[in-house]
Amino acid sequence: MSLAARHLEDNGISTVIMGCAKDIVEHCGVPRFLFSDFPLGNSAGRPFDVGSQAETLELGLQLLERAPAARTTMQSPLRWSADASWKLDYLDLAKLTPEKVAERRKEFDVVKAVAKTKREAS
Amino acid sequence: MATTAPETKTVFAAEHDVPIPYMQRTRDYYQALGFSPYRWAHFVDVPFAPLRTPLARARVALITTAAPFQPEVGDQGPGAPYNAAAKFYKVYSVPAESMPDLRIAHVGYDRLHTSAEDISTYLPLARLKDAVAAGRIGALGPRLHGAPTNRSQRVTIEIDNPELLRRCREDGVDAAVLVPS
Repeated sequence: MSLAARHLEDNGISTVIMGCAKDIVEHCGVPRFLFSDFPLGNSAGRPFDVGSQAETLELGLQLLERAPAARTTMQSPLRWSADASWKLDYLDLAKLTPEKVAERRKEFDVVKAVAKTKREAS
Repeated sequence: MATTAPETKTVFAAEHDVPIPYMQRTRDYYQALGFSPYRWAHFVDVPFAPLRTPLARARVALITTAAPFQPEVGDQGPGAPYNAAAKFYKVYSVPAESMPDLRIAHVGYDRLHTSAEDISTYLPLARLKDAVAAGRIGALGPRLHGAPTNRSQRVTIEIDNPELLRRCREDGVDAAVLVPS
């Protein structure tokens, strides 16, 4: 998505990315980025919370209008929960036994094979 | 947990209460599984095109990484396990007029802490329409566009991005809101 934003911007279309993976988007380098510190999958706001979704979009629109230069990141003030311990869980190796690691590896091999078949067919 | 700064009443946030370091976690995870590390795209220079039309008169595109629901490829419902068969490999467009059935079972969203039950958490189409109705945005593009989450950066750069640009130009948009899921 970051690459797409850069390409559109290079061709005169102003862009804003709304996303939850701050390091990945900033590592690439994009014109405008509204970062929500939410679990991946909630780039546009909280589930069933129209107010949070509207606020998230509004911040993105303000970036479109007012970002002074490239690489402008704004962090949404919204919090996913008062307790931040959810941030510890994503791909947490410490929670995996060696057996579980082997299992995940097998699963990932299957996923890759499925994706390869699908990609080659498309 | 939150702590108090020494000799003050100032409360510091918990050490782990920072944006998740996804790149490091992903590298460590796949290395432990025995796979070679992914190299994320990285640039020194970043383009910038100021918005030339006031937003209240601008036409805005919505670009998503969500995938059209494909009934024949298994569970794509809320909380469904990662479903590689639901991936797509070509840019697609659907009318922005009605709410399309787009899912995110084909990407690595946080299945432990969220469930993709509400499409508006990853596709702000309804909120964009609210913004148009309120006069905040001039108009939406007639279609929204889907960008493949292709691990091949070459394909993204050489094929998908020019195609997205072509479609955005066809739609006459001034700006684009891009929402990765």
